[in-house]
Amino acid sequence: MFGPTSILIAIIVIGAVLIGILIAKPSITVTRGGKILAFVSLFVFPILSGSMGVSEHVERSKTTQFCTSCHVMNDYGKSLLIDDPSYIPAGHFQNNRVPRDSACYTCHTDYAMYGGFRAKLRGLRHVYAQYLGKIPDKVELYNPYNNRECLHCHSGARSFEEGATHNLEEGRLELMKSNKLSCMSTGCHSATHDVKNLSNLTFWSPDGKVKKDDAGAVEDAAGGSNK
Amino acid sequence: MAKKINLERRLRLAGTLVVLGLLVEFVSLLKSHPLAFIVFLVVGGLLIAAGILIYLYSLVSRDGELTATGAGE
Repeated sequence: MFGPTSILIAIIVIGAVLIGILIAKPSITVTRGGKILAFVSLFVFPILSGSMGVSEHVERSKTTQFCTSCHVMNDYGKSLLIDDPSYIPAGHFQNNRVPRDSACYTCHTDYAMYGGFRAKLRGLRHVYAQYLGKIPDKVELYNPYNNRECLHCHSGARSFEEGATHNLEEGRLELMKSNKLSCMSTGCHSATHDVKNLSNLTFWSPDGKVKKDDAGAVEDAAGGSNK
Repeated sequence: MAKKINLERRLRLAGTLVVLGLLVEFVSLLKSHPLAFIVFLVVGGLLIAAGILIYLYSLVSRDGELTATGAGE
């Protein structure tokens, strides 16, 4: 009921009210209580609300809705609803193998030290490109997709460790674990965000109806309301 | 007396800037969008930082010192 957003809003409101008192009667700062009031309202509350606000916005930036709010990402969001489980992002999204409300972040952050921080810096660069810079004609990953991101969840899972294809020949599993053999190699899990062919595909909808096209449905499926 | 007015003016300015910053923060929280984050960080952050700096300056400035010690001035 009282989430971080509610607490943050309460801090903002209380801070604003205290500052209002100070603005109306600045002469109260000559008293000890007035000085404390000024310190709390003009220093403690703003710092507190600023740091909590940054944390809140950073959390929000992990949501699927946030990622797909940029036009260039719309088709990538839509590809999560392709009605074909062989498409890895769609299969993961629709079967809750990743949390729907943070699907993009779950697979595209890098699970290394400072990975989340690097993802945020890249995000800021994307915002710059979206509003002030030039959006590239082709959206590409900075680096080839690292198996580490898959193994973050799949490592140790029986289906992965004992999978027939994964153990087809000796050492294959080790090659995958050391990222020398990509999970997304042709013929394996290579079907990802096929945005060029979206017009030829059908889409799944959480209400069970398969549709030809349903822009924006990914936000509904991800529970797309503002946090 | 003039110095006291000076200090009060600074406190009012600091308060106004911080309130504006808090207002921007509040509005930015209504939307989960990259632009909301930027507005929060750039506009809200700058307003609040400016307000805090003016407040801190009023504490260390000569006017503040005089007013604090000479309340009946």
